[in-house]
Amino acid sequence: MLQVLINGALLGAVYALIALGLTMVFSIMRVVNFAHGQMYMLGGFVVYYLYGQYGLPFYLALPAAGIVLGLIGVAFNRFFFQPVLATSTREENSMLMAVGTALLLENLALTLFGEKQRGVPEVVEGIFIWGDVAEGGVVLTYSNMLVMGVAVLAIVALLGFVQYTRPGRALRAVAQDKEAACLQGVDVKTTTTLGFAIGAALAGIAGGLLVTIYGVNAGVGSNISTKAFIMVMIGGAGVTKGAILGGLLLGFAEAIGYDIFPGSVTYLIIFVAMIIFLLFKPNGMFGKPWG
Amino acid sequence: MSETPHLELKNVSLRYGEVRALEDVSIRVGRGQVVALIGANGAGKSSVLRAVTGLRKVAAGEVRIDGNQTNSLQHQQPAHALVAQGVAMVPEGRHIFPYMSIKDNLLMGAYSRKDKAGIASDLERVCERFPLLKQRFQQQGSSLSGGEQQMVAIGRALMAKPRLLLLDEPSLGIAPQIIRIIARSLIEINTKEGITIVLVEQNSRMALALSSYAYVLETGHVALEGPSSELMTNEHVKRLYLGA
Repeated sequence: MLQVLINGALLGAVYALIALGLTMVFSIMRVVNFAHGQMYMLGGFVVYYLYGQYGLPFYLALPAAGIVLGLIGVAFNRFFFQPVLATSTREENSMLMAVGTALLLENLALTLFGEKQRGVPEVVEGIFIWGDVAEGGVVLTYSNMLVMGVAVLAIVALLGFVQYTRPGRALRAVAQDKEAACLQGVDVKTTTTLGFAIGAALAGIAGGLLVTIYGVNAGVGSNISTKAFIMVMIGGAGVTKGAILGGLLLGFAEAIGYDIFPGSVTYLIIFVAMIIFLLFKPNGMFGKPWG
Repeated sequence: MSETPHLELKNVSLRYGEVRALEDVSIRVGRGQVVALIGANGAGKSSVLRAVTGLRKVAAGEVRIDGNQTNSLQHQQPAHALVAQGVAMVPEGRHIFPYMSIKDNLLMGAYSRKDKAGIASDLERVCERFPLLKQRFQQQGSSLSGGEQQMVAIGRALMAKPRLLLLDEPSLGIAPQIIRIIARSLIEINTKEGITIVLVEQNSRMALALSSYAYVLETGHVALEGPSSELMTNEHVKRLYLGA
C-alpha cells in the first residue's frame, strides 16, 4: 500500500502543477483553456527533442519547455484571446476560441511529430529500494524522485512568486477585480499576458517532467485537459489551494484505483464520483476566486 | 481658481454603445479645491470620473490634468498610468480586493510607488486616520462591513500619494456615524495635505457642505454650476436635490 501512496504522491504533485496552470489562466482571464493539455503535450515534445534527441542536459531542457510554452502562451493571449475578449459579449466565444486553439495545437503536433509514442532515457539512473518489496516495501526510481521533487519545488516557487512579489500581487489583484487593479496602477493587459504565460509554462514543465515517466504522443493533450478539468472542478475553479488539493486527490485516486481495479474502471469510478460530488458541491471545495 | 486648472474637461461627450452618458460637458477644478458633482442616478456623474481616469475613452472633447491632455479622440493615456501621475480614485461600491488582507489592500494602493520608506510611513498615517484598520490588518477584505471597506478604499487611494483624489459615491450604503468619519477625513485630506478632491455624490447636502464649488448634472449635461454655498440656496437645487 505504501508503494501505491508514493505513486499517488508523485502523480499528485505533477497533476497539481497542471491544475495550477489551468486555474491561473481561468482566474486571471475567466477563460477555460481547453488547450492546456496540448500545451502539456508540447512541453513533453520539447524535452523529448532537446534532452532525448539532441542530448541537452535535462536541467536545461526542462526550463526550455517552460520558456517555449510561456512564449506560446504570450502569443495565444495576444493574438487569439485578447482580441476575442475585447470585443465579445458572450463567454462562449472565448471557450470556442480555446477549443479551436486546442485542435490547432493537436493537429500541428500530429503533422510535425506523427502519432508515434516517444520516450526519453532516464534522467538519473538507479533505484531506491526500501524494505522487502513483496512484503510491502517501496521501489522508487531516482528519476521519479527527481520528478516529484521538481514538481513540488515548482509549486512552492509559484506560490511564493504570487504571494511575495510585485507582479504576483498584480496577478492576485487582477484575478480579484480587474478595474480596481487598474485604478491602483496595475497594467491589466500585461499582467493578464503574464498570467497566461505562467499557466502555459506550468503545463509545459509538467509535460516535460512526465515525459520521463510516461513518454509523450501527439494525442495525449485531450486526456490531460480532461484530468485538469476534474482537478480544478474538485478544488473550485480559480482557487490555488483547490487546484493543489484537486491534483493530489486525483493523483492518489488514480494510483489507488489502478492498483485495485482494471485500467478503464478506475476513471469510470472517478467520473461517477466527480458527478456526485458536483451535485452536492457545484463550486468545488473552495468556490472563490484566485487569492 | 489658478490659471491652469488641476483638472479640466472641455466639451466632453462619452457614450456606452448607443447610450449618450455625457454630452458637451465642461468642468474645471482648481488645485487644492474640493469640487462636487451632484445629480440623480444616471445623470452622468460617474461617467465624468471614468473619462478622467481613462477607464472610458471620450467620444468628443478632451480631459486635461495639470494642463496635459490625458483623454481625447486622438490620445488616451492608459488608466493605470495616471496613478503614477498623482490621480487616485475611490470607485463606487468600494471595489476592495475581497481575498487580500487589509494590509495587502492598502499596499496595493502604493503599487506604482518605489519608495519603501515613504510607503511604510504613509501606511502608518492611513492607520492613524482610520485606527480601526490597524486592528484588522490581517483580516480579509470581504470580512469587513461596508463602512470599514470604504475606509480601506479611501486609505488605499491615499497610499498612492495622490494630488487629485476622485471619490465616487463614498457615502452610498454607509451608516451615518461612518459617513461623519469619512467626511471629516476628506476635509483633513484636503486642508492638511492639499489634495484636490472631486466628489461625486447623490447625498447632495453632504457634497455641497464639503465642497467649495459644485456642478449639477442632469441627463449627461451640466445643468447648473456655481459656488456650493450659492447652490445650497438655489431653488432648483433645493427642490430636486435637497428635499426642501
